[in-house]
Amino acid sequence: MKKKRNVLPYAMLIPGSVLMIALVFYPIIVTFYYSLQHMKLTAPQDNRFVGLQNYQKILSDSSFWYSLQNSMVILVVVVVLTAVVGLAIALLLNVDSKLNGVLTAIAIIPWALPPIVNGVMWRWIFHPSFGFLNRLLLRLDLVEQPVQWLNSRWSIMLIASLVVAWRNIPFCAVVTLSSLQAIPRQIYESAVIDGSGTWQTFKHITLPLLVPSFGIVLTSTSINAINVFDEIVSLSGYGDMSKNLMIDAYLRTFSFLDYGVGSALTYIIMILAGILGLIYIRNVYREVSYL
Amino acid sequence: MSRKKSPAFRVVYTLAIICFVAFSLGPILWSFIMSITPQSEMLANSTNFFPKNPTFQNYIKLIADSDQQGLLFRKGLVNSIKAAFLSLLLGIPFAVSFAYPLARIKFKGVKLIRDILLFTMAIPVFATIIPLYRLFVSLQLLDNLFGLVLVYITSFLPLTVWLLISYFDTLPRELEEAAYVDGCSRFGTMVRIILPISYPIIFAASLIVFLTTWNQFQIPLILAPSHATKPIAVVASEFVTKITVDYGLMNAGGILALIPPSIVAIVFRKFLITGIVGGATKG
Repeated sequence: MKKKRNVLPYAMLIPGSVLMIALVFYPIIVTFYYSLQHMKLTAPQDNRFVGLQNYQKILSDSSFWYSLQNSMVILVVVVVLTAVVGLAIALLLNVDSKLNGVLTAIAIIPWALPPIVNGVMWRWIFHPSFGFLNRLLLRLDLVEQPVQWLNSRWSIMLIASLVVAWRNIPFCAVVTLSSLQAIPRQIYESAVIDGSGTWQTFKHITLPLLVPSFGIVLTSTSINAINVFDEIVSLSGYGDMSKNLMIDAYLRTFSFLDYGVGSALTYIIMILAGILGLIYIRNVYREVSYL
Repeated sequence: MSRKKSPAFRVVYTLAIICFVAFSLGPILWSFIMSITPQSEMLANSTNFFPKNPTFQNYIKLIADSDQQGLLFRKGLVNSIKAAFLSLLLGIPFAVSFAYPLARIKFKGVKLIRDILLFTMAIPVFATIIPLYRLFVSLQLLDNLFGLVLVYITSFLPLTVWLLISYFDTLPRELEEAAYVDGCSRFGTMVRIILPISYPIIFAASLIVFLTTWNQFQIPLILAPSHATKPIAVVASEFVTKITVDYGLMNAGGILALIPPSIVAIVFRKFLITGIVGGATKG
């Protein structure tokens, strides 16, 4: 009986572990090995160990810093947009209303959709001649000529961030709403008795109590923002102007067939995402207490 | 809130709701309008918002026509449906079997495995894709639905396992102890006692599995190079880049690809919210 107890948990873990080891952990190690190789598919005879040279090559390449800048802009804009709009929607859904069922359904739709298709749809909002925004602006006589929204680096980055935020905001709103509703009513009542106004109550009671779940939401949002790929592809293709780190890694690996440098760049991205992952784990384990 | 709502509050609330709905559904609505706009009106360079002669021709083309675009589209649709069912069929038993011991049985290494699981959520797809691609080439698994689904499972396993763990954690231990006293085995207890009362979270996990599979792009982009296994999301994106220059058709393709996940989101919102919230907390 006792022996059986000890074997069962391990036996149940086997299928999942085998799959994760074979298709995640083993490939990650192999990728690291590739990243230390000179390994171009265009010159297959020339594979050799080069140590950290690929990493050096990337770090001294202005293309990397360009993509990193783009990734960082996306990261910051996505996190700020997600936090502000997500909180606003949570507060909106927290108001007692007959519409809440419908509104919640509307709120989570963007989260459920394929990111690649989201990018395609948003492209038609910003398209110079068929786009909704230009038609609106032309109609209202706010512009005379159609605006080329998807033609410059920073405007593509801002639009890409908006589209990425669009699918992350529902997650933020729903989690924030549930923590809003978990705050005991008595806390608000005693604040009112103490003469606290609406804004003061919000600032000193509601916001601090939302911090733990916000920590989780925003770290997971930043992991998503670092790993953005689909939306940029559908908004502006694999172009050089709009590339972030992920697109850069994709191009180096699958267009230029440079597996060595591509793997090294992927590792750099993974380290960035990994740091965020560690913060995420810390946030998840932090207890929420209302005392 | 119990206080009476002032007229000013009502105005602000209504405006905010309009903005929120426009922001959430606007792009979908505009894409739908474009999908029912005839090509001639689209190219007329007008500033009209609605077409004068809306047409569902693009949808008919994709659903019923036997030209190349329709065939590719329907193949993608069938591939996605097959992949989703296979993911559910294999992924949920994998996840339950992995989560249960981590939540309910004390043994060495539980904390470490939990941490590793959380950490894998941060790993970008490309960190594994080159070796996977080569592995798939050598095993002749490229364009094999089963192989593809196994990779999908690794992409959602950490999240679904985490969800299940945080739910199992909240169930009282007495449930199992009573079953053991009655002579139930560990495995029997899981199947007969714990799993039946966990159906909301298992269902939520299944919905997330469905959505993650439906929305895959990067993995099939590399591992499903031919149309034999290419899912709908990839086909819909190819409509933009290579298959057609017909804007109406592109939008119709996108809208059709959105229908299954939208229905899931609307019909099962309560379960999904349980899943979303459960995944973001320790439980």
